[in-house]
Amino acid sequence: MPQQEEIFTKVCELLKPYNPENRPITLQSGIVSDLEVDSVAVFDLVMGLEDHYDVSIPMEMVSDIKTVGELCAAIKQLAEA
Amino acid sequence: MSLFDKFAPLQNRVDLVTKLINKDPLGVKFDDIMSPTRGRIGNREIILSGTNNYLGLTFDEDCMDAAKAAIDAHGTGTTGSRVANGTYTEHTQLEEALADHFGMPSCIVFSTGYQTNLAAISGLTNENDIIFMDADAHACIIDGTRLTGASTIRFRHNSPEDLDKRMSRVKDKKGDFFVIIEGLYSMFGDIAPIDEFLDVTHKHGGYLYIDEAHSYGVFGPTGCGLAEEQGVMDRVDFIAGTFSKSLASIGGFCVSKHPEFEIARKVMRPYLFTASPTPSNISAALAAVGKIRTRGDLRENITARAAQLHKGLADLGYDLCADPSPVIAARRPNEAICAMEWNWLLENGIYVNIAVPPGTPQSSSLLRISISAAHTEDDVNQIIAKFAELKDKQGELMADMMKLAG
Repeated sequence: MPQQEEIFTKVCELLKPYNPENRPITLQSGIVSDLEVDSVAVFDLVMGLEDHYDVSIPMEMVSDIKTVGELCAAIKQLAEA
Repeated sequence: MSLFDKFAPLQNRVDLVTKLINKDPLGVKFDDIMSPTRGRIGNREIILSGTNNYLGLTFDEDCMDAAKAAIDAHGTGTTGSRVANGTYTEHTQLEEALADHFGMPSCIVFSTGYQTNLAAISGLTNENDIIFMDADAHACIIDGTRLTGASTIRFRHNSPEDLDKRMSRVKDKKGDFFVIIEGLYSMFGDIAPIDEFLDVTHKHGGYLYIDEAHSYGVFGPTGCGLAEEQGVMDRVDFIAGTFSKSLASIGGFCVSKHPEFEIARKVMRPYLFTASPTPSNISAALAAVGKIRTRGDLRENITARAAQLHKGLADLGYDLCADPSPVIAARRPNEAICAMEWNWLLENGIYVNIAVPPGTPQSSSLLRISISAAHTEDDVNQIIAKFAELKDKQGELMADMMKLAG
């Protein structure tokens, strides 16, 4: 099972193209509010994570995720299910 | 704290664009519309090149006469829902005409194209079902998925392989799989491989729903759209469309090869709880369906004009998003440059659409053109000439931008 830290590293890697100003990413970073990733790009990011961890992250779940930490926690929960 | 504080970032974005071009690009007002391809702003005549008026039927005499006759016969509005007092002879005639055109047993007419997707998607699925939606789906498809209890999984744009992978990933299927694609995608103008999507969808026991809003009337030997063009229409479960493009009116429809679709009239909230389309809208659309079935010449012209424009812009070096189709979009470097160029075109007599994130795929900023069968070869040459001139003006526009933004 992937550990939180490994998931965080993967999320940071996939966020790179959407973070051209290289803002610092923490678990508390708001994906839209702090990193200014647009709402469609968030869904593109999620598709990459779905493929990497072989999970389905439904759109209604993504809509409730606001921070990088919440995204990591959701992936961990789905990967363990 | 005020209710409106949350709009501050958006307001800043609007203010920046307004500072650059001295107008809100989403607030254009035409002082007159004279034909399917000509409008007027102040004293300036504009070639309309972004109105989705694909067949140019908004000024067709038969369509206009039908609309006027419907007002004379049945008044200006229905004042009621389809399930109350809002179904007139015109509404059922149009449903029958569309069902007949597609060769399908069931058709339901809605008040707008937007509501068609809201209604059909939310009405046909529930919390046991899983929706698979193309990543570039239109906002009304996304909003439709939000009105249902079904889970929604996005797949990579125009990739049946990716859909297959995501459908295979679902292990605890309780209800049905409902796959949503579009025929012609409205922003990039690219086309779905419908036959491959049908194979994948049906392999997993799912239903395929296609939004042909931008392709109905334009593709296929009788104008039914891309499923007809690709020879697979009889295998498609649901086809949705709008009246506000090729049909030159306002409203929408969904046809199905499943006669059981009729029961959905009793559960689709955007169908139940809104007023039905006016008699004049419906009658104009009904006349337009007749034109679509018979006027292959309009399809020939729009195909030729689209090819002419695509070649002209490609020869000028514009980075176009897809192969020739009635929707031709050029990628621009960013929103500010896109807005400056869009404004320059408008001030020089060419109306196109400006399309920016998050309303566009891949966070693109686009100058989007929709071509019409009513455009002449000369119209298209004029559009190309203005895009050529725009190319020469880029240094000047960039300097203006730096000065204004500075």
